Amino acid sequence: MELLILIIPLLWMFLFWGSTRKWLLHMINSIGTLLLLILALVITCKVNASGHIGYPFLNHFFYLDALSVIVLDIIAIVSFMVSVFAIGYLNRELAHQVINLRQIQLFYSLMYAFIFTMVLVVSTQNLGLMWIAIEATTLASAFLVGFYNQREAIEAAWKYVIICSVGIALALFGIVFLYISAVNIFEGSKSNLNWLFLLQNAKLLNSSIVKIAFIFIMVGFGTKVGLVPMHTWLPDAHSQAPAPISALLSGVLLNSALYGLIRVLAIVNKNLGSNLYTGRLLVTAGLLSIATAAVFILTQKDYKRMLAYSSIEHMGIITFGLGLATPIALFAALFHMINHAFTKSLLFLASGNVYLKYKTREIAGVSGLLKTLPITGTVFLLGLFAIAGMPPFSVFSSELNLIIAAFSANQIAGAILFILLIASVCAGIAVVAMKMFFGENRSPGMKPGEENRLGLSVLIILLLLITVSGMLIPDQLKQLLESASGIIKGVA
Amino acid sequence: MENYLQFLSIAILLSGFILVANKRVDSYIKTFRLQSVLLALVAGLIGVGNIAREGNWEIMIVCLITLAIKVYYIPHLLKKTVQKVQYKVEKDFFLNIPISVLICCALVIIIYFVVPHIDDLRNANLQVYLANAMALVLIGLFFMISRKKAIGQIIGFLVIENGLFTAAILSTEGMPMIVELGIFFDLLTAVLIMGILVFRINENFESIDLDKLRNLRG
Amino acid sequence: MGYLMAGIIQLAVIIVLAPLVNGIIKKIKALSQKRKGAPLLQLYYDLYKLMKKDMVISETASWIFRVTPYIVMSSVLLAALLIPLSIQLQPIRFMGDVILVVYLLALGRFFMALTGLDTASTFGGMGSSREMMISSLIEPSLLVAVFTVGLLAGSTSVYDMMQNSTLTGLAIFQPVYILTFLALFIVLIAETARIPVDDPATHLELTMVHEAMLLEYSGRYLALMELSAAIKQLLLITILVNLFIPLDEFFHIVNPIMMLGVSLLGYLVKVVAIAVLIAIVEIKTVKLRLFSVPNLAALSFILALLGFFQYWIIGR
Repeated sequence: MELLILIIPLLWMFLFWGSTRKWLLHMINSIGTLLLLILALVITCKVNASGHIGYPFLNHFFYLDALSVIVLDIIAIVSFMVSVFAIGYLNRELAHQVINLRQIQLFYSLMYAFIFTMVLVVSTQNLGLMWIAIEATTLASAFLVGFYNQREAIEAAWKYVIICSVGIALALFGIVFLYISAVNIFEGSKSNLNWLFLLQNAKLLNSSIVKIAFIFIMVGFGTKVGLVPMHTWLPDAHSQAPAPISALLSGVLLNSALYGLIRVLAIVNKNLGSNLYTGRLLVTAGLLSIATAAVFILTQKDYKRMLAYSSIEHMGIITFGLGLATPIALFAALFHMINHAFTKSLLFLASGNVYLKYKTREIAGVSGLLKTLPITGTVFLLGLFAIAGMPPFSVFSSELNLIIAAFSANQIAGAILFILLIASVCAGIAVVAMKMFFGENRSPGMKPGEENRLGLSVLIILLLLITVSGMLIPDQLKQLLESASGIIKGVA
Repeated sequence: MENYLQFLSIAILLSGFILVANKRVDSYIKTFRLQSVLLALVAGLIGVGNIAREGNWEIMIVCLITLAIKVYYIPHLLKKTVQKVQYKVEKDFFLNIPISVLICCALVIIIYFVVPHIDDLRNANLQVYLANAMALVLIGLFFMISRKKAIGQIIGFLVIENGLFTAAILSTEGMPMIVELGIFFDLLTAVLIMGILVFRINENFESIDLDKLRNLRG
Repeated sequence: MGYLMAGIIQLAVIIVLAPLVNGIIKKIKALSQKRKGAPLLQLYYDLYKLMKKDMVISETASWIFRVTPYIVMSSVLLAALLIPLSIQLQPIRFMGDVILVVYLLALGRFFMALTGLDTASTFGGMGSSREMMISSLIEPSLLVAVFTVGLLAGSTSVYDMMQNSTLTGLAIFQPVYILTFLALFIVLIAETARIPVDDPATHLELTMVHEAMLLEYSGRYLALMELSAAIKQLLLITILVNLFIPLDEFFHIVNPIMMLGVSLLGYLVKVVAIAVLIAIVEIKTVKLRLFSVPNLAALSFILALLGFFQYWIIGR
């Protein structure tokens, strides 16, 4: 039954090639993600009740626990929102004759391929398969990034494919190292790449190989996560992709890659007996990412690129939390993962509406947004407040938790640096983006009015989500987060 | 047996040097093919040994897939791509060849100094295999950053992949079958996608010179 | 067997055999081009003829021009005494080590380059500068390769290295030996002025390296220079075959004289094999541009270096 979560997107990839009727394509699309969402919620309840789900066939490759369910839920919810939003978005692009029907087919098909690969990342415990799936996310989304087929889009797609493939290849080297260390001890065992097996026997693995493996895997998956200095593909790909895809890339893909890193992190921490080694690496990488993003946000002229750099910042924040590795820090990091996913996909979707109206990605080309697009503008503004870390939104609460965790872990210097950096990012966003919203619309011949009406409902739902979860965390979610951070600590 | 494997692992590393010393896209492809043949030989040797010992065909299958994909199909695909984009012979590298070769030499030396510090590798042979494979990965990375043409970068990526594959197969007698198959599938798709992107770059920029991809910055 | 006897055998075999190697290479090249080619012993006839001829010496030539042929000849002959043709020639063991061999050859080359400059002919100067460039490029790989073998044997004496290789027997098929062999083979080609580094058959002014330096010589001096070049080539081949292709393990003959004979016969076979190999390389490749020679030298150096690291990591 749970396997349907893999089968549905795989099947849906091919369904779109059967018909060229527009409404049918949109219908198939929304039904697919709706099914996925329902399934994900069912699985969440099951995992909450029983701890984990797994099947013995194909060497136990299918495995879901609280950690994977968190990311799975993010995937399912964001995919659903994006696919509903995409209906309106693609219709407008079709009406403007930027794309044709065949490209809609391609878009949906590749989008489902993309979703499939991400679901595969979180639903397998075989590290080799996980690697394959993460590499496949790059391949599935390459043409989505280059969807508009202009110079910039092609350039972004090329950078994306090359940098991510090479980075990921290094991660494979790390996994080979882990495998070597496992084979050294358990020669002939069939489950040498299974995460559960490795975690249970983590103490036996050879530390010096595991350390090297972690370095490789951190660089490899870190490329995909967008950690500085491997982040160079990220602003390009996020800014050039169509808005729904940007939302998927930022909200889901980065989290899936981070998920791979977290799985390995659990093994390495358990093997080394402390988080000293991984902590130093991750905290440094995290703070470096936040700092770099802070600088680049201040100089941005393109609002989608600004959002992309903000994604780098938030990945840095989560990595910082993972590096601290105290229970409360892990809790906050995972919670931040969810909050960032929703907030950032909200922002990218809203930016899609802005792009549809203004036909430009330049910040200077947009003015009077609140008057021209009253609803999108308001949501966009509130979303920016949220991502900058203002109360009452959820990003604020998880960031606050992280700061508390950092102080209580005695990382005083790190914590102060962290506060200063996120404060400067907040200021940067305010300085750069606020001029878009106020004043009069200077573009001649543009009437006020929304372009993508269906998308508005999505934006409002997401806004509600991040506002509510900023004020109270449901018990179900709390339990999930707690057991997930327990899994990372190696209590599984 | 061990001697042959060691020799092959070094020969694969040497083919990396030959690659760096090459000037033309055609010879990149030829060298990559040579390297893949050596790789297939490694897989074949281990595979035959496994069949004789335990009747285990997995690695032999990997060898055959390597022959089909890396020795035949991918070079063929790349050749066709090169022909279609009407690649003109131009200078394709930033550094001249002796300097690049020396840099690669330095990379190899660094790796050979680093690898012995990983303790508890089962035996000295394993160290040599890993050192050679890691050195090949670094050479592949260096090759990617030292060439300006899109095809060169694809080849660099493939060489990195070959390095990983050598490491996996020599030091662990191959990953589990399903993982190997998945890696091959990913590799094939990656090369196909990169090939298509090369066409699009050629259409949009009238060249496959990556120096022209400079629109996105900051 | 005394030092004297061993030395005489050494020198006699090398001097007699050296021109033959050139003959073999030329013959094979001719056959590959469907020509009949010069007879195998052509170089002997040439040398004999040159010995009888008068010499023409440039007026501007200094004493260097006159002593160089003798210095070159004596340096290669001295080197010849240090490289045993067979491990049966035990007295050679104590005479010196491989570093001395390398630098005796370098001494000869140094004087050859000087004499190229001495007569102030344009070609001579050009040849000298090219020769020095090539030798400076090739020397690092020669030394690294030789030292690697030395480390394996735990000694720098050529005899000890040979003995170690012989004891290794068939296990000589190891990466470290193969790599150093390939490196030394490239060194051999470069040092003996063969294609693809230099073309021994041409007197085309723009391409020649070795021949350019000998251009001013005639008569007896030329004969000495040619002979010493042939001997140097044979010496390098000897190092190559004796260090990397040990055959003596396979014969067990009690009588030392017989054993020596068999061993020398085996040596002859190996030398012919290498000569054939050189001929094949000459047939199959074209001469490199002078500025591509560093690439070849780099390849040789990498081979030697990799060989060294194989030894260093495995620690055999």
